[in-house]
Amino acid sequence: MMWKDKYKIGVDLIDQQHKELFKRVSDFTQTIRNEENWEAKLDKVKETMSFMKDYVIVHFNEEEVYQEQINYPELEEHKHAHAKFKEGIDNYVKIFEEEGFNEEKIQEFGGKLMAWLIMHVGKMDQKIGEYVKSKGGQI
Amino acid sequence: MKVEYVNSFYKATKDVLQLLVDIEPQRGELKVIEDLVSNKDANVELGVVGDLKGTILFSFPKNMTLEMVKIMSGMEMDKIDNFASSALGEVANIIGGNALTLLSKHNYTCDIAPPQIFIGEYKPLHAGNGKALLLPILTPIGEFDISIHLKE
Repeated sequence: MMWKDKYKIGVDLIDQQHKELFKRVSDFTQTIRNEENWEAKLDKVKETMSFMKDYVIVHFNEEEVYQEQINYPELEEHKHAHAKFKEGIDNYVKIFEEEGFNEEKIQEFGGKLMAWLIMHVGKMDQKIGEYVKSKGGQI
Repeated sequence: MKVEYVNSFYKATKDVLQLLVDIEPQRGELKVIEDLVSNKDANVELGVVGDLKGTILFSFPKNMTLEMVKIMSGMEMDKIDNFASSALGEVANIIGGNALTLLSKHNYTCDIAPPQIFIGEYKPLHAGNGKALLLPILTPIGEFDISIHLKE
């Protein structure tokens, strides 16, 4: 399991969505790295890719709405980081559309996605939690 | 080569590894080197362009690489496959990006090229007429090197 409690930011809605994202990415990496034949797990890979692509957008949008509601001062910087994250995923989606679901590229994507997610949630999103705390808790 | 370069890379390495891999790195003794060479198993090369130009090379031993990816993913790793090497490349890329952000506070504006990952043999890169620095990083899960070759 990839999730660690230190990644919590202390805002329930966002923490739940983060846990879901980590769970999906964790399942995805387990699927792409298990010993099963590549063809046999391709459906699971495609399904996860499609879920990830949509859920990341839903989550990022909700997180941005929340940041607006609390007048989060680093909203623009955070939106920029979200846009770059989405761009990273989209680049691979494009590769898979053009070249098919090539095992080597999927593994490469999985490794990067894991590092991006931990870095984004573990560092950038923590600042949202710190801001909420500095304002006296839940807003 | 100025001390800001080394300090920026060291600080970025410390921050990123604490977060991603839950380890507390310490710096070893800095050495002056002529060439960027590595006898370690997994090497990630980052090209730097802009106010500073050159190459940063991260060299990790195999067991440390596997342990890092295991801590991040929560999965057992027994070989440096595409998944592990890609994750390692991204860790180095994030360290490089953070180091450049720190360097920008010293008024150096630079960019990094996408990481080049070499598993197994690394062909040495000659530092040319400028020398390079090798910063060993000591951690509870192993020791790795950051070679820094930057020119203004």
